[in-house]
Amino acid sequence: MTRGSKMLAISLAILFLIPAIAVAGAAKTVTLWYPAGDITAGAAHFADKTLFTDFESKYNVKVEAVALDYDTMQQKIFAAAAGKNIADILFVDDSWMPGFLKEEMLEPVADAKAKAWLDAVSPEIKELSDYGKGRMWGYVQYGIDVYGLTWNKDQFREVGLDPEKPPKTWDEFREYAKKLVKRDAQGNITRVGYAIRHVGQPHGIVHKHFWAIYGAGAALVDDHRTLRGGKTLINTPGGKAALQLVLDMLDVDKSTSLNFPDPRAAFLRGIASMQISETVSIRARQPKEAPDLKWGMALPPVPKAGDKPATNLGGWLYTVPKLAKNKAQAWQLIEWLNSPEKDFELCKKYNASPRYKVNWEKEPFKSDPYDQGLKQLYPYGIKLPINLGFNGIMEATGNAIQKVWHHEASVDAALAEAERLANKSIADATK
Amino acid sequence: MVRSILVPVGRLSLYLVVGAVAALMILPFYWMLITAVMPAPDILAFPPKWIPTRLTLEHFVAAFAKAPWLTYYWNSFVVAVGSVSCSLLFGLFAGYAFAIYRFPLQNFFFLLILGTLMVPVQVTSVALYIQLSKIGWVDTFLGILAPNFASAFGVFMLRQGIKQIPVDVIEAARMDGAGEMRIVLTIIAPLIKTTLATVAMILFLGSWNDFLWPVIIINSSDLRTLPVGIALFKDPYGNINYGPLMAATLISTAPMLVAYVISQKYMIRGIALTGLKG
Amino acid sequence: MISERRRSPRQVLARLHSRHVLHAYLFIAPVIVLFGIFRVAPSIQTLLYSFYKVELLRGRFTFIGLENFYSLLTDEIFRKATVNTLTYVTTIVPISAFLGLILAVLFNAKFHLKEFFKAVYFSPMVTSTVAAAMVWWWMYNPQFGIFNVLLKLVGVPEQPWLMSSHMALPSIIIFSVWKNLGYNMIIYLAGLQAIPQQFYEAATIDGAGALRRFRHITIPLLAPTTTFLLIYDTILALQVFDQVFVLTGGGPAGSTNVVVLDLYRQAFERYNFGYAAAEAMVLFLFIMAVTILQYYYSKRYEVAY
Repeated sequence: MTRGSKMLAISLAILFLIPAIAVAGAAKTVTLWYPAGDITAGAAHFADKTLFTDFESKYNVKVEAVALDYDTMQQKIFAAAAGKNIADILFVDDSWMPGFLKEEMLEPVADAKAKAWLDAVSPEIKELSDYGKGRMWGYVQYGIDVYGLTWNKDQFREVGLDPEKPPKTWDEFREYAKKLVKRDAQGNITRVGYAIRHVGQPHGIVHKHFWAIYGAGAALVDDHRTLRGGKTLINTPGGKAALQLVLDMLDVDKSTSLNFPDPRAAFLRGIASMQISETVSIRARQPKEAPDLKWGMALPPVPKAGDKPATNLGGWLYTVPKLAKNKAQAWQLIEWLNSPEKDFELCKKYNASPRYKVNWEKEPFKSDPYDQGLKQLYPYGIKLPINLGFNGIMEATGNAIQKVWHHEASVDAALAEAERLANKSIADATK
Repeated sequence: MVRSILVPVGRLSLYLVVGAVAALMILPFYWMLITAVMPAPDILAFPPKWIPTRLTLEHFVAAFAKAPWLTYYWNSFVVAVGSVSCSLLFGLFAGYAFAIYRFPLQNFFFLLILGTLMVPVQVTSVALYIQLSKIGWVDTFLGILAPNFASAFGVFMLRQGIKQIPVDVIEAARMDGAGEMRIVLTIIAPLIKTTLATVAMILFLGSWNDFLWPVIIINSSDLRTLPVGIALFKDPYGNINYGPLMAATLISTAPMLVAYVISQKYMIRGIALTGLKG
Repeated sequence: MISERRRSPRQVLARLHSRHVLHAYLFIAPVIVLFGIFRVAPSIQTLLYSFYKVELLRGRFTFIGLENFYSLLTDEIFRKATVNTLTYVTTIVPISAFLGLILAVLFNAKFHLKEFFKAVYFSPMVTSTVAAAMVWWWMYNPQFGIFNVLLKLVGVPEQPWLMSSHMALPSIIIFSVWKNLGYNMIIYLAGLQAIPQQFYEAATIDGAGALRRFRHITIPLLAPTTTFLLIYDTILALQVFDQVFVLTGGGPAGSTNVVVLDLYRQAFERYNFGYAAAEAMVLFLFIMAVTILQYYYSKRYEVAY
């Protein structure tokens, strides 16, 4: 062998040996994966490097919180699980839960602990935590998403509407939007009465129209708590009415337009008077992006007086995968992070609504108008279905909504197709 | 030089067309740059400001505060250098073998190497991840390098380049008693310097900008490469944080742009000669 | 050593070959071994999955033969993805090649700042697709993005760009053309410069005008370059992913869903790994078909001059 080749062989050998050398003994480390950036306000506290110091010294364990790219996070989790090399705690979007449950990826919360939690938290947290018969697959994070109607008080005043009185029925809603829409000299809409989300991820489209679908008596699937089976109830008079509402606002009232596809941004910019989406998002962004905006928050309108309002609940969960290497420490950390004391401390610090009933009794939450306003919304919140065909249902419905509002299909045709595809997805998932 | 069809068109219109298209090509870069240095309210201002009213570094500060860019640079650099040097070395020898020798299963092996181009990384990522986790290469430099130790293009192009070398040169060296390995390293390599440099540049570019595999294999924040670092600034339908996002994009593309501007003539000529891109 | 020179050329050659088979295998070993372990093995494994129902996390593999492929045939989402991908490919490849050719001809002439402009046209290639797509995503924003602002300034109505199921795919195509323009131009430029001047001079002497020279000399002699570009661009276009992922994620209403994206989501959002592998297999066959086409075409068009 020439000298050159020998050198090559040696360097290659060293290269291959490095990982072996790197495996040194270290104190137990609990790893936690969360999504980076501003995807959810509930992950804000992970950026605080001192967050875990108390826990680390108390339990003699190191905590490593790793930020992952949200878009590829599911792929990452799947690959890691397949490679049996996954974090100890996963902080995940609850809409991912059906997939995880289908693959039996997660470890459930111990029954006793689950019962204690469900008894101690407020009803909306209980709704989100309970996956059927008191089963919990993770702890719900504070600052849950509840969708509500938000309106610009100054603009209400401007057109002669009472700024403290939001529209309660669909008719009122349409009337208000007609008054609030503003046009320029050429007739182009410069401000919509109500901003609609009609593009982007189909899931998002459905989320933002959930209030109308359920308010009108339709549903994405008949039973929200079962993993398998069931059928969609989207192609019903209620579903049709829900889609028709916005279609009429577009074509007949002309009080909205397709050119304002990011309702929250439009609302904050003052070019949309009303919108319905996550209230926690407006709460977090308004001080920075629209400091002068005076806004109100209420339940979404219902088809006619006396109907029950509906809105959606969503949240993030701390979960422990079955293949985690440090399960005991993982649960310890989750319980520590979600204790009543920590709940109070973090919610106060990050301006979020608490989860424990006892904390709701304390200041500042007790008197905070925003938190109390949320309390009005929570009872009508409905958790998304955990059906394994969930993704398919959302896509089918979102696409149908989009097609109708883009004038690419009639309401009947679009919903019939959505029903077919959604039921197919449910059926496929049971195979 | 024959001007072929340009004589009737006229120089002025030529400059007009070329200039207009160039402006369009550069528009995204310009936009990225000014968004990164404009104050936040200006970004959303309407009508938007072509020339910022004032310059601010606040987005860069925010971007730097959020992520350790120097670490990302270093990681990207280590990965790129490792991948390119291995690819060149192994590709050189393989290219030589395919170009000069005749051996059984030669075509089979060559097609096998080319075949790797036909399966996109999304397909192999999970199987590869599982494999690597079994040998403990997940979240390591070796893991990032695993699919990039060699390059099908490298082999193909170097083979092409070596084929151009007259056989006599090799024969002569052999007659002089040189071992094959010595021939490759001391005679062939210098003769195809341009090809080697070009392949190196293209592979470096590809490695620097590689996103999908690194995002899967990397867990720790101190192992992240630049594209992975940028991806963490995304927030498509939530906050509009364009300022720091563009600043982050600028930070990550700037070095390549600078390096490119410096060496572009060389780069372009080289790529033209070999017909490759990363 | 001197004795060897007295053997016949045939014997020398034979000795050369036999001595070097070992070397040959040694030299290709690193590449073959490394590829074999880290690229070929995972590919074969995944492609094999297409014949199974794969429950990776439970470690359960059930052989179902061609069932995945039958499902693919009736899957309208996959069908749409295939149509979108083919639409994308058949649009972007000719456009890029055509524009590249025009620009190459333009740049074949001499004018001031030629090198500068050439560098500008090539620059999108040095950026990562993901980063560049993010900038474009921002520019395509219908409320605040620069494209709509420009349109408004010249009095053209604002466009929904990525928000409309009709405009989304064209918007992505525009991005891809921008990204790859420089490359096509450079390749053609090299091809142009390889054409010996004598041909043009002879034609000019014979009285052929610029356009005729272009049609009868340039185009035919550029045929190998054109073939190479078309095929290479096609293979890459068939695998398009990064920009779709960043710009639209497949929407609106599946109008920009492409095969690799669909495959990705089947694998990592629905956890249907066998099904995703079947999609990958279909894609692989497509690409192989295109590559074989190239092989035969290039043989036909080999021009020696």
